[in-house]
This record gives sequence, structure tokens and C-alpha cells, in this order.
Amino acid sequence: MRTFGYVRPADAGEASARLRDGARAMGGGTDLIPQLDRGILPSDEVVDLRTLGLSGIEHSNGGVRIGATTPVAEVERDPGIGERFAGLRQAAAAVGSPQLREMGTVGGNLCQQVRCWYFRHPDLQCWLRGGETCYAQIGDHRKHGLEPGDCISVAPSDLSAALLALDARVETTARQMPLADLYRKATDDRRSTLTLEPGEFLTAVEVPRAPDASAYVIAGERAAWSFALVGVAAARFGDDVRMAAVGVSNLPRQIDPADPTRDLPGLDMTRWKRRLLETLASDAGAAVGR
Amino acid sequence: MQVRLTINGQPHELDVAPHRALADVLRDDLALTGTKVACGEGTCGTCTVLLDGRPVLSCLTLAGACDGSELQTVEGSTPLLERLRAAFTAHDGFQCGFCTPGQLMSAAALLERTPSPSREEIRVAMAGNLCRCGAYEGIEQAVAAAAEGG
Amino acid sequence: MTAKLVKTEAVVEGRTEVRWTLVEEDDTPEFEDGAATRPIGEPTPRITARARTTGSARFTVDIALPGLLEAAVLRSPHANARVTSLDLDAARAVPGVRAVIGPGEGPENGDSPLSDTPGFAGAAIAAVAADSADAAEAALAALAPEYEVLGFVTGIDEAFEKHDFLVDPTEHERGDPDAALAAADITLEASYIAPAQLHNSLEPHAAVADWRDEGLVIWSSTQAIYDARATVAEAFGLDPERVRVICEFMGGGFGSKFGVGPQGILAAELSRRTRRPVRLVNSRREENITAGFRTPAKMDYTIGASADGRLQAVEASAVMGMGSGGWAFPVLEPVKSIYACPNVRLMVAPVRQNLGPSVAFRAPGVMEGTFGFEQALDELAEKVGIDPLDLRRLNHSEADPESGKPYSSKHLLECYDRAAELAGWAERDALRGDGRIRRGMGAASQYWWGGGGPPAYAEVRVGKAARPAITVGLQDLGTGTMTACAVIASERLGIPVDAITVYAGDTSRIGHGPFSGGSMTLASIAPAVRSAAHHVRTEILGLAAEMFEIAASDLTLEDGEIRSVDGTLRQPITEVTGKLGNAWISGSGSRGPNPEGMNVNTFGCQIAQVAVDTGTGRITVERIVAVHDIGRVVNPMGARSQVMGGILQGIGFTLMEERVVDPTTGTVVNAGLEDYKVPTIADLPEVVCEFVGDPDPHLKLGVKGLGEPPVIPTPGAIGNAVAHALGVRLREAPYTPRRVLEALGA
Repeated sequence: MRTFGYVRPADAGEASARLRDGARAMGGGTDLIPQLDRGILPSDEVVDLRTLGLSGIEHSNGGVRIGATTPVAEVERDPGIGERFAGLRQAAAAVGSPQLREMGTVGGNLCQQVRCWYFRHPDLQCWLRGGETCYAQIGDHRKHGLEPGDCISVAPSDLSAALLALDARVETTARQMPLADLYRKATDDRRSTLTLEPGEFLTAVEVPRAPDASAYVIAGERAAWSFALVGVAAARFGDDVRMAAVGVSNLPRQIDPADPTRDLPGLDMTRWKRRLLETLASDAGAAVGR
Repeated sequence: MQVRLTINGQPHELDVAPHRALADVLRDDLALTGTKVACGEGTCGTCTVLLDGRPVLSCLTLAGACDGSELQTVEGSTPLLERLRAAFTAHDGFQCGFCTPGQLMSAAALLERTPSPSREEIRVAMAGNLCRCGAYEGIEQAVAAAAEGG
Repeated sequence: MTAKLVKTEAVVEGRTEVRWTLVEEDDTPEFEDGAATRPIGEPTPRITARARTTGSARFTVDIALPGLLEAAVLRSPHANARVTSLDLDAARAVPGVRAVIGPGEGPENGDSPLSDTPGFAGAAIAAVAADSADAAEAALAALAPEYEVLGFVTGIDEAFEKHDFLVDPTEHERGDPDAALAAADITLEASYIAPAQLHNSLEPHAAVADWRDEGLVIWSSTQAIYDARATVAEAFGLDPERVRVICEFMGGGFGSKFGVGPQGILAAELSRRTRRPVRLVNSRREENITAGFRTPAKMDYTIGASADGRLQAVEASAVMGMGSGGWAFPVLEPVKSIYACPNVRLMVAPVRQNLGPSVAFRAPGVMEGTFGFEQALDELAEKVGIDPLDLRRLNHSEADPESGKPYSSKHLLECYDRAAELAGWAERDALRGDGRIRRGMGAASQYWWGGGGPPAYAEVRVGKAARPAITVGLQDLGTGTMTACAVIASERLGIPVDAITVYAGDTSRIGHGPFSGGSMTLASIAPAVRSAAHHVRTEILGLAAEMFEIAASDLTLEDGEIRSVDGTLRQPITEVTGKLGNAWISGSGSRGPNPEGMNVNTFGCQIAQVAVDTGTGRITVERIVAVHDIGRVVNPMGARSQVMGGILQGIGFTLMEERVVDPTTGTVVNAGLEDYKVPTIADLPEVVCEFVGDPDPHLKLGVKGLGEPPVIPTPGAIGNAVAHALGVRLREAPYTPRRVLEALGA
């Protein structure tokens, strides 16, 4: 049921302390508020991180640093990003709807929960939510991942694919690390796909250097406003093409441009996504001149 | 909690519970029922309002988080909104009209930022506002007509 | 004015209803050929536009009364269960809670919408009314229900194997299909599967009830204020005149909002108990699990034809997934009624499932049935080696193939010709290409009723300032009926549309108006409005004749003026009406019966052009040509909007919309608009829309309906276009990337 407190923390220390006490971090609230309404990972308090001055885009030394609470729409509109990180701009433009891009933050996008329709079901408590069963595996998983596992839902963040291909790093209140290290598979003991510790939250994401070319391509269920069935990002640094995909695995995943579906056999209802992944990898490769 | 807001140019001071959505506060506390709620979970765009000029979903916006903000709703009157109203009327950019307040807000946000949008830009900017009656052709034409040089 | 009771027939979505109705004499002259009809036939913006664009339009969800209570409903999370424990007292003890009702409780004479044996996930168990939505929600939590979970059936096949029918299966036969099939030169078998499409009107089902000593006032988002009134009055044992149903504006219904719904019954009961106004509004999730759906159907066709493509026999069967309610929507009607075919057998099996009730959805049955049959016909055309449109022309029927009765008007052949011309049909094979993107073009026919019928009453009043007021007992669900009424009256009164006000959506104002459905509304009300306006016109001209000493027959009303035919007199109408003081001239009109011995139907043809990305499986509808025969077009602007809306819902059905039920738990997993996709503005194709055919000569004013027709042929046309593009036919809608890629071997 929806009753919770709302806190604008004075500083990162207060925010961390409240998060350690069980509050949930809020950026734009577009993922969090519906979760609280449906009783998904409920909490008595939300902590608004937007008041901590973590918003902004800085270009320097060929790279770019984006504050965690920067609205996704600002990434989409930033001329420097459009010029030098086309793939990141395209990924930002692929996020949700225009309103969700205005509200949603970069950090929130990277840390959003899976969109699995069982995870989000108000009357079911699936394995990822701490329950016993991955309903998707025994149920309807037409939009799920291409590899078996305890949870077969797919990583949804368009930005994560683009940033992974760009070799981005993230900063948290506690450390710096490659973006890839922000994610891990959920385990029986720890039902989360994020490596963040209690009280820890993202403060910024940094792309150290601009690629020679980058792109993000998405296939959705309609022409606009659709989470990616599959999304593929590519970035070319000289002859080196790096690719990452969402919509295929539990985590945003680096893929081999020469063999994008390697280790992604597909499940009963998702084998069709292999073809989609191959097509999009080919399109993304072509877009960066591979 | 106490919240100070400017709504359509008028200052308001409100006492709201921290979990309450801006949409509910507008509709139930302030009787500004022009803003409609169709899904309540951020998927349809019906409840779109302009928060400091940005189109946001008032169903997912906490009223408590809007302290100090400027808000524009369909009840407001600006030259741009009037132009959009006339264009939606002339191009039949609605049928039942339930999504119309949100459509107008998204259109106003687009034209504030991009006074002469291309057809593609209109489609991108309006894609978050569902219209189940299917008035999209009229909406697209209306936004184009209300644009500079339209 | 003399009135009499007459017996009349009207076809409501395929069901013939015989009614006794009170009809007034109608002496309104028909238009002579070539006579000016303006503004009828001219594009007219909606008269409600200002209200709809300023936020002042009041929908049911906006009604706030002093002391308003918010209601909420406890719903079963299980597909089938027995409630073993429910703490009503705990809910009553929650601060701010004013009433709690549990299973079996409700109106005295009506069935309770609340049950302790919920038969689907979403079935209502208890309802509460409280000072705030938060308090109501807290009360639901306090109910702390416990369940014994029971077995369930949600799959259509499984329900069919169990022979668990919601409605008795039916069989219909004409001729000797077995013999004809055995003798046919060509036979073909084809199967199609239609999904459960969810209405998703953006305004949820909602009611606000205010039980007062003098009677019950209920605001309802309803397509039928009079049906709503009858239901509530009967359930609560009230005289109908003591129930007032109001629906000022409504945010779409598409068939899902007939009557007052459980929202109205529950809100009224809670208001009766608390003597406070009560508002009950569905959440989006409640909309999608309880408020209805287009019945999914598995359709099998066996077609026998002559070597040149003449239909000899069709045997068709359909299994329809009804969930827990609904009527047997005419899913095989297209087989029976579009083409000349002497031998037909139709078998329909409506099965019961542990799901919410199916509810009529814009052209119920017929749209999904057309999707299947029109594709089967294209398969036949291919087998015969004939152009698909030529196959349809070859099997054209001049009279109703079932009864042999003539049509009041039929211009279907003209629709084919005009659509083909507008679409560039002759060059369609040149579109296809052999690269990653394949293009194709496909056609489908449209058949529907739409003649309307009585009862329908209208009143027109004109006062001092000559600003007419029209009162009709209908509701405008967004189609533009109120604007069309103003257009029709404007022609008779010679007063511009923007000076006219239309009062609708209130049972306390005037007698019965038509419901908004079945493509019947305008065809029903239009003659009544015209007749009422004509009476006022006659009276104004009579007064003018006395005043100006010119024979009334030499006077006319135009552009707000009284004019003599010879041009010597031009005076504002207010010269006459200005003498009225606070009185007014009023006229009433009623809808007369339909012509006897003939069928009233609408027809049409749509041609779709699609592009299929064989790499991603995404289908883009690039263009739809829509040509429909709907008799006289009152407002071309509103008519085009109706066509656009139908086409977009048809695109949704064909490409993306599908309720998904979890096989393990029996619950709907995509009950929100994130996973249940409806088209956005980015999915909008180019649409070329024309209407053919003169006003129907056998109907007053010649108006037929348009609500349903445009949605009917869109899915079949897209399906045929996709098959033309790919050379592969997809059997199950929606044609998602997954189904396309799987059909292509992925």
C-alpha cells in the first residue's frame, strides 16, 4: 500500500544513512513510484537524490562525465554528446517516452529494476522479489532472455548498453569502477542484479574517451515508446569494435560482433530473439563502419 | 508537508502528505480536474503537465517534490496554448477528449523548445501520449499548424 | 402532434430486436436531388472543442460533490478460489471508513457484484467507502482475505475439450454444404486465431452515486444512460423516474460501457448505506482484468469453390473464449452474409474460462471474423489464380444471401473499384522487392449493420436570441454525435452550428435516445433531430409570414436570416424570435420505423500497404485506403476521424495488442499499458479515406452508421498485405516481431 515518507537529504551522508536504514533511492521516480504502488520491494521512505547537486554534463579531455541525476532528456539534447557519442544520444532517445526521459535520471535508468511482467505483477512474488518461483520459466516468457538461469528476465536499460560499449566507468558514494562491475547476477542470497552495497548510490558515469563512431539500435513492439525487445550498442575505437546488448540476458552484456549470439542459446519461447540480435548487431556494426 | 507552487501563474501554498501524487493534489485538493489520470503508472501520458517547462507525468510526480516549482496545466492560458486549442479544434485532434489535456501539454512543451518541428520531431515528442480513439492524424496536423510558420 | 405506438425491428450488432415504440408523425420533407444541404456534408469542428481543450469538460471521474467518499474494491488474486476468511469488522474499524460490504451484499433486487467464490483473478469480493482513497486502500488491506485456491481453466483448447460452454453452442446451415463441398472443383482449409483485445478506453469505468431522499442521482461513464437507468432502478427497486443518470462527457467506451456496470451498482449501494455521495473509479489494471475484452477466437474454414472461383460452400467453425460472461458475438457472420454462397454451415462454441467477462468491442465478432475469413478468401484466390479483388467481385451478392431480401442500398462494388484505384492495386506486385524489407498490399471487405432505429426523441427550442438548444436523450462517447445533431438542426433552422447548444447525457431532460453503439446512434437520432428542427422552422416561418405578409411557402431560413424566395426580404431571424420574451418556440421529433422487407447494412473495402523488415520482424503499415458506403455523410470531419480511429484500433489488434494470461496462475500478466501495447502517434499510417454511395433512399435523411465499419476490414487487409509481402501467411494475430520471425524460420 502506498504511504511513505519523502526526504530531501541535506547531503550524501544523510542520503546514505537513510538508504542503509531501508529507504529507497529516488531519481525521477518513474521506476520507483509504480513499484511502491504495487508493493514491489516496499519501503517506508524515499530519498530524493536530485537535491544533492549530482546533475550535469561536463565534457573534458575527450571524455564526458554525466552526473547521476541528470535527466535522460538532457543527455539526448546535449550537443557535445550528439556530436561525439552518437550511440549514447541514440540510446537516450530510445528510453521510454518523452515524459519518462524528462523525469528519469541517468542513474535511475542504469539502476532500474527488470521489466519482467511477473516481477511487476502486484499479486505474485517471484524469485527475484524474494519468492520461491521464477514464474517466467514455467510461464509465458516470450519477451525474456536467451540464457537459462535462476531469473530469466532481461536487463532493460538502453543507456547501459551504450555506455558499456563505450567502456564507461561509474562513480558511487564509495568507489569508482567499470560500468560492467555495477551489475551481477542475482543469487539465492542476494536477489539483486546490482552490486551496490547498502547506503551506496551512483553519483556519476564517465566515458573516458570518445569513439571514432558509435551507435545504438533498438527493436521494440511498436514504432515508439517500447522497452527494447533487443537493443544493441556499438562503438568503434580505431579497428576495435565493441558491442553490448540489452534484452537478451539478465545483465547488460558485451557481445562479440563476429558472433553475437554466442552462449545465448534461447529458451523455448525466446529463440526468435537470436535472429533479432543478429540483425541488430549487424545494423549497429554497419552504423559504426564495421 | 508544506509545498509552495506556482500554478498557471497563481501562487499556492499546500499541505500535502508526502506520498501523494501531483495529479491527485491538482484534481482533489485544488479542483483542477482538467488534468486527467488514465493509467496512474506512467504509461499513457494523459496526466502530463509542465513542471518548470518540462512535460512530466503528474501521476508519478510527488507533489512534495515540486516545492518552489512553476506548474502549467491545461487550465492555463498562454498565447501558445490558445493557438494549440484552435489548431486541435480545426484539425479534430481529439475524439473523446480525455487524453487532450496531456496532448496539449506535450505539444506546448515541444513548441516552446522547437518552434518549427518536423513531422518526425512531432511524432517523437508526442509518442508518450496515447489516444485510444486514434486522433493521431489530427493531433499531428494540429501541432504542425500551431507551430511557427504552420 | 399525434403520436402512436408502432412495432419495429432494429438489428443490434447482428441481433434482431422487435420493439414497441412511441412515434410521432414526421412530415419533414426529404432533400430533393441536388438541393443544398449545408452544413450537412460540410466539415464541422466539434461543438464541444472548447470544453475539451480547456479542461472544463466534466467526465464522470471529475465529479466531486460535498462529502464525497472514495470507494475501492477487494479483488481476488487467484483465478479460482473460495474465500475462507475475511475481516469486515477490521476494515470498518479503519479510521475514515464509512461503509464496508462483503460477498453477497448489494442491492435488494439485483445480483450482488461481490462473491466469496471468485471465479477469476480480479473478481470482486468486497467493497469499501471511505473519506479518502488512502483510507479506502487501508480498509482493503485490513480485510486480510484468506483463500482456498481451486483449479482453473483459462486456455481456450482446454475449455473446449471439457465442453464447458458459457453459451450453448450453435449450428446454422443453409443449403447442403456437405454435398457442395464434395462436388467442388477446389477445396481449401484455413485456420486463424484472433487475440483477446483489451478496450483500454482512457477514461476508466467509473460511477459517482448520490442517494438522496428524492431519489438516486448517478454519474456514470456509460454508452447508454437509459440502459444504465433501467439496471439501477430494477436492482434497487426504484421507479425509473426516481433515478437520474448523467454522463456529460465520456472518455471512450468502444463497447465496454453499456449499462451502469458493477461500479454503478456498488457506488449506489455504498451511497445508500452512507447517505453520502460515493465515487468508484477503476484502476488501469482493474480495467484490463475485469472490464471486458474482445473475445479471442479460433476459426477454421473449409471452402469449396468452382474452378473459376465461385463460392459453392463454406463450412466454418469458431471456438470463442468468453471468459466468465458475454454473448456469442457474431464471429462467423462474414461467412454468412458478405458473399453469394448457396451452401453454408456455421458452428460456434463459446467456452467458459476463469477470466473476466468478454464484452462487446467495436464490431464484436465481425472484426475478428473478417480477419479470418477475408484471409481465407485470399488463399482461395491464390489457389484459383485470380486477383483477390476479382474473386470478391465474382462472389458479390446483390441481395442478402441468407434471406434473399434486398438491401436498402449497397455500393460495395463501387468501394472495390475506388479503393483499387486509390491504392494503385494494379501495380501491387511491383511493390514487393526481394531485399530485407518486403512490401505488400492486401484488401478486405467490410460488412456491418448500422441502420439504427427507434426509439429516439429530440427536442429543439429557439428563444429570443435565436440560439437554438437541442435536447437529446443520448450520450456522446467521443464520436461527435452531439456535433452531428447540431449540424442537422442547423440546416433546417438556417442558424450556424456555433450558435447551437446540444444538451445530452441526462435522463432527466428528455425521453429515450439511442445508446452509443452498434453504429446506430446517429442513424437513430438524426431523423428525430431533423424532424424537431423542422417543426421549429415551420413555426418560425409561420410567424414571419404573418409579420411580413408573405406566404410561408415563399420564405426560407438561411445564415441566420429570414429570406423570401424572390430575394426582396432579408431580415435577421431575431426579428421574429425577438418578440418571444422569455418564451420559446419548441418542436419535438421522433425516429420512425425502418423500412420493411429490406436489410439495412453498411459496406466497404480497405486496402493496406505494409512494409515488413525480415531482419527484425517489425511490420509497418504504410498506407490504408478506406472506402466505405455509409449513406449520407453528415459531418465529413467527424466521419474521417471515426475512420482513423477504427483503422488505428485495427492496426493495434493486428500488430501488437494481445492479452497474455499466465498458464501457471491464470492471471493476466500484461494488464497495464506498458506491456499491453496500443498504437502511438508514431504508428500512424497515411490514410486515404472516401465515402461512396448516395444517401440511403429508404432511410429518413439517408444516414447509416460509421462507428464499427472502419475497424472491420483493417486486420484482414493487413494480414493479406503481409502474406503478399512475405509469401508466408501468419495464422495468429497479433503479428509481433516474434511471430513474424518465427514464421520466417527463426
